[in-house]
Amino acid sequence: MGFPFILTIIVFAPLLGVLLLTLVAKTKEKLIKTVAILSTLPSLFLSIYLIISSKMGVELVSYSGKLSWMQFGNPEVFGKLYSIDYELGVDGFSLILLLLTALLSTLAAFASFQIKAGWKGYYMLFLLLEVGMLGVFAAENLILFFIFFEVTLVATFFLIGKWGLYEKERTAFSLLIYNGMGSAILLVVIMVLFAKTGTANIDALMSILSADDGTVFSSKVKTGLLIALFIAFGIKLPIWPFHSWMVKVHSEAPAAIVMLHAGVLLKIGAYGLIHFGLGFFPKQFESLTLWLAILGVINLLYGAFLALSQQELRKILAYSSISHMGIVLIGLAALNEAGIQGAMFQVVSHGLIAALFFYLIGIFYERYQSTSMADLNGLAKTMPIASGFLLVAGLASLGLPGMSGFVAEFLAFLGLFQEWPVIAVIACLGIILTAVYILRAVLGITFGQQEKAKMVRDMTAFEIWPAIILLLCIVGIGVYPDILSSTLKSIIIGLGG
Amino acid sequence: MSSVPLSAYLTLAIILFCIGLYGALTKKNTVIVLIAIELMLNAVNINLVAFSKYGMMPSIDGQIFALFAIAVAAAEAAVGLAILIAIYRNRKSVNVDDYNSLKN
Amino acid sequence: MMEIAWIIPLFPLFSFLVLLIFGRKWRRGQIDFAVILSLVSFICALLVLFARFTQENVKVEFTWLTIGETQLTAGFEVNQLNALMLVIVSLVSFLVHMYSKAYMEGDERITVFFAYLGLFTFAMLGLVLSPNLLQTYIFWELVGVGSFLLIGFYFYKEEAKAAAKKAFIMTRIGDVGLLIGMILLFWQVGSFEYDEIFAVISAGDLSETMATLTAILIFIGAVGKSGQFPLHSWLPDAMEGPTPVSALIHAATMVAAGVYLVAALYPLFAFSEVAMLTIAIVGGFTAIFAATIGMTQRDIKRALAYSTVSQLGYMMLALGVGGYVAGVFHLTTHAFFKALLFLAAGSVIHAVHTQDIEKMGGLWKKMKWTAPLFLIGTMAISGVPLLSGFFSKEEILVSAWVSGHYLLFTLAIIAAFFTAFYMFRLFFLVFGGEEKKEQSAVKESSNWMTVPMLVLALLAIVAGYIQTPWFGTFLGDWLTTGIAANVHGHLDGPLWVMVVATVVTFLGILLAWLMYSKKVLSRDWFTSRAPYTYQLVINKYYIDEVYQYIFVKGSRFVSQILHFVEVYLIEGLISLVTITMRRLSIIGSKFQNGQTQLYGTVAFVGLAILIVVFALTGGGF
Repeated sequence: MGFPFILTIIVFAPLLGVLLLTLVAKTKEKLIKTVAILSTLPSLFLSIYLIISSKMGVELVSYSGKLSWMQFGNPEVFGKLYSIDYELGVDGFSLILLLLTALLSTLAAFASFQIKAGWKGYYMLFLLLEVGMLGVFAAENLILFFIFFEVTLVATFFLIGKWGLYEKERTAFSLLIYNGMGSAILLVVIMVLFAKTGTANIDALMSILSADDGTVFSSKVKTGLLIALFIAFGIKLPIWPFHSWMVKVHSEAPAAIVMLHAGVLLKIGAYGLIHFGLGFFPKQFESLTLWLAILGVINLLYGAFLALSQQELRKILAYSSISHMGIVLIGLAALNEAGIQGAMFQVVSHGLIAALFFYLIGIFYERYQSTSMADLNGLAKTMPIASGFLLVAGLASLGLPGMSGFVAEFLAFLGLFQEWPVIAVIACLGIILTAVYILRAVLGITFGQQEKAKMVRDMTAFEIWPAIILLLCIVGIGVYPDILSSTLKSIIIGLGG
Repeated sequence: MSSVPLSAYLTLAIILFCIGLYGALTKKNTVIVLIAIELMLNAVNINLVAFSKYGMMPSIDGQIFALFAIAVAAAEAAVGLAILIAIYRNRKSVNVDDYNSLKN
Repeated sequence: MMEIAWIIPLFPLFSFLVLLIFGRKWRRGQIDFAVILSLVSFICALLVLFARFTQENVKVEFTWLTIGETQLTAGFEVNQLNALMLVIVSLVSFLVHMYSKAYMEGDERITVFFAYLGLFTFAMLGLVLSPNLLQTYIFWELVGVGSFLLIGFYFYKEEAKAAAKKAFIMTRIGDVGLLIGMILLFWQVGSFEYDEIFAVISAGDLSETMATLTAILIFIGAVGKSGQFPLHSWLPDAMEGPTPVSALIHAATMVAAGVYLVAALYPLFAFSEVAMLTIAIVGGFTAIFAATIGMTQRDIKRALAYSTVSQLGYMMLALGVGGYVAGVFHLTTHAFFKALLFLAAGSVIHAVHTQDIEKMGGLWKKMKWTAPLFLIGTMAISGVPLLSGFFSKEEILVSAWVSGHYLLFTLAIIAAFFTAFYMFRLFFLVFGGEEKKEQSAVKESSNWMTVPMLVLALLAIVAGYIQTPWFGTFLGDWLTTGIAANVHGHLDGPLWVMVVATVVTFLGILLAWLMYSKKVLSRDWFTSRAPYTYQLVINKYYIDEVYQYIFVKGSRFVSQILHFVEVYLIEGLISLVTITMRRLSIIGSKFQNGQTQLYGTVAFVGLAILIVVFALTGGGF
């Protein structure tokens, strides 16, 4: 199959939208929105096509594309030629994340209808963000990965700083500083790897590092590099105690951006941990699993307990994200097939569920100008459909079987029980706490008598369908998880299971 | 003939240079700062001339350089004083500490 | 027929989806549609049961999830226990559908109600058909959600909200036990399949400790769902839901799921003596514990709820002492008579618009159908001879006696006395005595409500005859063929057990009659003599308060502490870093003061230092 540049098209299609938007006048709201939504579609359709054809048996390798970009260094002096190439490629996991990104981008573009001003700039940055996210998952090269990673950061910074809520500037800077720090650490790791091996290609690095018996890096250096990677991606994920920026972002950014932020951007952390941490340093990873398991349990319980005392739905969900990322960590800490698969499922599942939650939050905020439990009390009376969706999202989030969250949680725990049964029992407390805080939040909003009776309209037919799409994905994965696991199978075995 | 050794020229030059440097870095009056800079230039000129006579390959090059330097220094002094006057008209001061508009 | 048993749960699922999507349009048509679908589902279940009499078990599976090389499967299985449960569940569900059509009439969210009923029925039928633990767990939780949604149906009531939340969370605590037990078992056995688990057990490849541990953990799940002590307190609160729901979920089907689970995994439990003893003790204790509370309740539905808890305790006790058949038998008969009692209570509530039994009275004459039907239910549950409850209770008592747990046997006898007493107390207070003024307009309920009750009453009378010491032990013989554990189709106990049980029942009825109908004995004869005990009982042994204090307050306290950690420690550390940075930058910006002379000085000093270093190190750094 000679179609190597399909990934390039997927990644850069939204950029075309950016170019088109530069030609549109600032005031033409309808046109801007239409162009923006249309330009998210090619990536979506092409990535669906990619998934389907990979299910039909086309090798994923055939999609990899490569162009040489720059080379330097004298092989006679340094013993190697340093080359950085433009390389895109996917494996099972990144393909699924690519699809997730494309899907959530389209839906978030719809949810962005609530943006009240500055559409042109907003959508240009939005599309740029999409390019960055898609590129992160498609990059086959560490330096390329880093470039896309930074693109997402810059785009999010401006999107939050300009279109956020009350404390938008502070939040944007908080995001920038934390993630900038993470990026700096990541850059150091990338440069060390690049300088020592002469290549930044991920597959090449994997094979060099796995064949390495201490000549390229001693095992201490490897552990150091791995810990640096943990910190770099841990800030993004976020791992406790690097989480406070993310709580701010959840509560201050526009809902559509949080859909992408919680749905995709946090997942870059997990993706990096799995792809680079585990992929490059499997042996060192194994020696750190106990710490990872402990951190995972801390994340899980800490997030859950804090979610229990919040009054603001956005904050509850922020802490719930921390708690759910704990599941990714414990799945990785188990380091067996079930655990890793659980972590991957959780990445996808939480992406969908968080996106659904924040889609609804956008709708509530538009009608009530608030998302605090006190203001929304008794919502089931005025907005039965939206409340229904909120309830379903809550149930999905607390790991109800039949929805994707359960499969992820179940697999992660299944894995963890094999390796660290005692930690797993403590972590099980998190299952109960999750139910407690989710029900507290969801019932607090939907049930009860509405005190400040305010007539608002329920979700319109136009607003319902993104929620339905998300719900179908959540239920689809939950009812028949093999749909994902067959795509993930090869990579999980490849990672050593 | 050669009664004055090279080291004496160089010592004179370094003394002159240090006086000039001290003046340029500490004096508050801009006119004095400019004069101090001239002193430093002249210290260099002495070095140039001294080396052209006592250097490893004595030649006229050093003296030509010194002449160049004197010419450039004259031009520089003219421009410097012109700027000084312009600023003085603006700020009513020749104190260096008052010339901090680049900062804010 | 058995090969397509998977279709049975799909009817209610379809009903759920249709009602959810069409919402408020064509309301009447949709409800009839739901009732018909539940009827179809019942007929299919009946056909499957009949087919099972003549054919072998069926099991069909497909790959559900791949983990590396391991494949987890989903599918369905039909065996004796399944087939029996299918019929019970789909029958009660159908009757409740019918009943609700009249009971919920006029409620503007009636289609939502029927949609939830469909969801619940789907989940319950799916649970019953599951061939492995994982699938059981999945439906187990879905059943919980159905229950949760229906308890919280009146969402605007604060009590309903609290009750729904409590039900979900308390059962979830149990579910976590089940999850842990299930996963531990998986790593021991390598499969979630019931068959494979039993094969490993009978091969003796499972260590005794591990079997005990997993069995007890799984039992915790059953404790949560079946409202056993100490996770019982959600069940009485769950009475906030509409009454048909209480009949379906919190009497006949879901709460029996715990008993069903223990029965389905019986070989595992039977393997571990400790686990069996635990079950028997928890069951026996719950039976008497809940019965004492049941005697003091003023709310008709709560009294029935405690009665349910107590009867479920009976079933657990039966299973724990080795009475596999007795437990399942009582599950069957209890489903009928308790559903009947709840529906009849619903009929009463529908007529008098209160749940307080002190405000009722003299309804015997007003409700010509409901009253006798309620009496039949009351007699059946009390164990009056020749009704179904008599036979199943007798079977349990015999099992307890034969197993040699005499203390538990005594507990069960006392609980039987209490049961007869509080049930007839209810009956006399509601239907006997003087008419109350405010109830002059009371009318009998419509046929849609009485017909289901009639069917259930019939079953409450005759269901006992499938397993009697006199006419043959059909149920027991059928259930126990092909079970991997050592169970008996029927146990022969001494005759005096039956006599004692009957005497005790009549004593209870007599006492209730004397107190509440004849009023020979003063009602506060006991309460005035032991006020503290009475206070303790009427406040349900302060269990809720204790939980409130320990768990709710406890988790809130931890949450507060962590909140402090978040705000002061983590945010504090962050501000420490930012403040340090800011201080450093202030110091740094001191040098950027725009004074050329300072810059020059610094440059020269730097140059001088470099030269000195250069000179001292001799040119190389």
